[in-house]
Amino acid sequence: MTGIHAHYSALSLPAEWLIREDATTISYAVPDDQMPDIAEILLALESRLVWIFCTEAADQDLFILWYVFELQEMRKYLVLVVTTNKPVSLAKIYPAASRFERAISDGFGLHFTGSADNRRLFLHEAYPEDFHPLKKDWKNAPISPLENPVPYEFRSMEGTSIYQVPVGPVHAGIIEPGHFRFSVIGEEILNLEIRLGYLHRGIEKLAEGCSPEHVVRIAESVSGDESVANACCYAMAVEQICSLSLPPRALYLRGLLLELERSWSLLSDLAGMVTDVAFSAAASRFLILREVLQRACTQLTGSRFLKGIIIIGGISQDIPDGLLYEVKDTVMQVRTELEKLLSWTLSVPSVIDRFSTTGVVREPFIDPLALSGPVARASGRALDVRSDHPYGLYDIIPVSPVIKMTGDVLGRFALKGDEILASLAYINELIPLIPNGSVHIEYEIVDGYALTAIESPRGRTLCYVRILGGIIDRFSLSTASFCNWLALEHAVQGNIVPDFPVINKSMNLSYAGTDL
Amino acid sequence: MNIFSCILKKPDNVKVFTPDPQFESAGRMLHAEIDRVFKRSIAIREVDCGSDNAAEIELANLSAPHYDVERFGISFVASPRHADILAVTGVVTHGMKEALIKTYEATPDPKFVIAVGDDACTGGIYNGTYAVVGPVDAVLPVDLKIPGKPPTPDAIIEGLLTLMRSAKKR
Repeated sequence: MTGIHAHYSALSLPAEWLIREDATTISYAVPDDQMPDIAEILLALESRLVWIFCTEAADQDLFILWYVFELQEMRKYLVLVVTTNKPVSLAKIYPAASRFERAISDGFGLHFTGSADNRRLFLHEAYPEDFHPLKKDWKNAPISPLENPVPYEFRSMEGTSIYQVPVGPVHAGIIEPGHFRFSVIGEEILNLEIRLGYLHRGIEKLAEGCSPEHVVRIAESVSGDESVANACCYAMAVEQICSLSLPPRALYLRGLLLELERSWSLLSDLAGMVTDVAFSAAASRFLILREVLQRACTQLTGSRFLKGIIIIGGISQDIPDGLLYEVKDTVMQVRTELEKLLSWTLSVPSVIDRFSTTGVVREPFIDPLALSGPVARASGRALDVRSDHPYGLYDIIPVSPVIKMTGDVLGRFALKGDEILASLAYINELIPLIPNGSVHIEYEIVDGYALTAIESPRGRTLCYVRILGGIIDRFSLSTASFCNWLALEHAVQGNIVPDFPVINKSMNLSYAGTDL
Repeated sequence: MNIFSCILKKPDNVKVFTPDPQFESAGRMLHAEIDRVFKRSIAIREVDCGSDNAAEIELANLSAPHYDVERFGISFVASPRHADILAVTGVVTHGMKEALIKTYEATPDPKFVIAVGDDACTGGIYNGTYAVVGPVDAVLPVDLKIPGKPPTPDAIIEGLLTLMRSAKKR
């Protein structure tokens, strides 16, 4: 707790600015003209700007910007709340701010003074110029797309023998759509610009006006291989608003589902990485293990993707103890197989040759780009929401983050392997401890707002929910992928184009989870 | 130990799984139908137009060891120019409409379009919102819809069997 006091005295935010303190955040209202100075001070305190989102103020012309900071050793997030209609860009202080600001400009039509990049982010060319879907006075309805829009402007690279390689949105593999624009000299990548937004489904607007129960299913549809994490993060926010405490059995079962999802989801990454270095013998075996876990998911919940199980106030159906112990056995068999498989893969010279020193994410990039999850932990930073901001079961049974120092594909491979082993061991440990009792509680929806965080398989997921009149007034979600895409842009520089697939797979970020 | 014993030795850490009889029989029937309609094999190109990536995972799963549908004459190809079938997932977003049409135009005739998953079939929860054009059949002629959230590998194979049977009649 000393950390908190040290930070506050250095920050010296006036006590009258404090607007609220809850289980996950401490919020201050900051005058808009002082925000850049405070951001500078926060930077000196080694803080990380992890999210900016926007809501509309009661006064039609004003907007509320929520700057979410993470400080070392501070369990709660520091939220600075700025009410303004002329915001100043923080991109020069915190580079991660740039894309958050572009997303807000798209959604609300706000212009950030001093912003170096004013291009639209998730709204593509087909959307009319003055179209801002998240404004309250605009009702969700089909639009008529522009016929002959102005094409998106990519950063251009000039010089002798530089050429560009456009890839996507439709890729060669069975993966999601996104556009990669490589600027290349010979075979070496000079610059990569990633353009996403192809999967923008208007999820935030879609949730507005829905019942809180229905939005669990919407949160679940954000990204298929993180459905439990996203649904849980949203449900936790509603539970915080309604001051619900979950029955212990529900808490344990949610912990089980979160770790099971992490395990099967990360197994896909391992399989993808070895596939991309043509070691298909190992890929097949990783996929066998993933299928075994996905079948265990079906056994437990009836869904291979664990969909439909998370509800507000717990989980939708109890899982009998007999089944839990069956899954415990399966999980331990998978763990034994995986250990052998990992040591075999990491003893093959051709794999090491392709993985080692490829696609390095350097440690100094982690804070400015707000990187999180395996991408940050493989570069030597023990950042993990489960241990930094414990929630749910992790408050009772703590986890300690695994880290690797090298930051290359090999580091991320070894890290993800170790994380699956740790997750499976965690499941094995928690199943005998699951208490008896009900798995959900009765509740009444009350108005209010909350911000919650969760560690998904890909890293930090943040969710903001505001309930007004018993229905969702604002739902916003920021998945780990949103920031981690920037790590990919940096990691590929200086590598050769043929190594791009394996670098991309080593992060395996979610396109759908970014575009919403 | 010489190189051949290295290659031929059965690795001791492989756990053999029993194939699912229902999937195997559907697969064999499908193989026979593909043989009749397409002579040997079909090539599928997947296009994600607004999916949450679960349907992609299941389509990719068809090539994984538990299912391994190449045995039944089904392969997933990298380019629409090599494809007989377009498997479209997700509700069609404004961002992907143009790419979907271009992919369709690049696919040689005769071709089939299948919509994979609830959102691709009906638009699901996204119907009538600003960001989407609609289900796949709002943009392209669809030959078969395979519902599911996402459909399981078994459901996809059953769907392809239905498609081949109807194709034969044409």
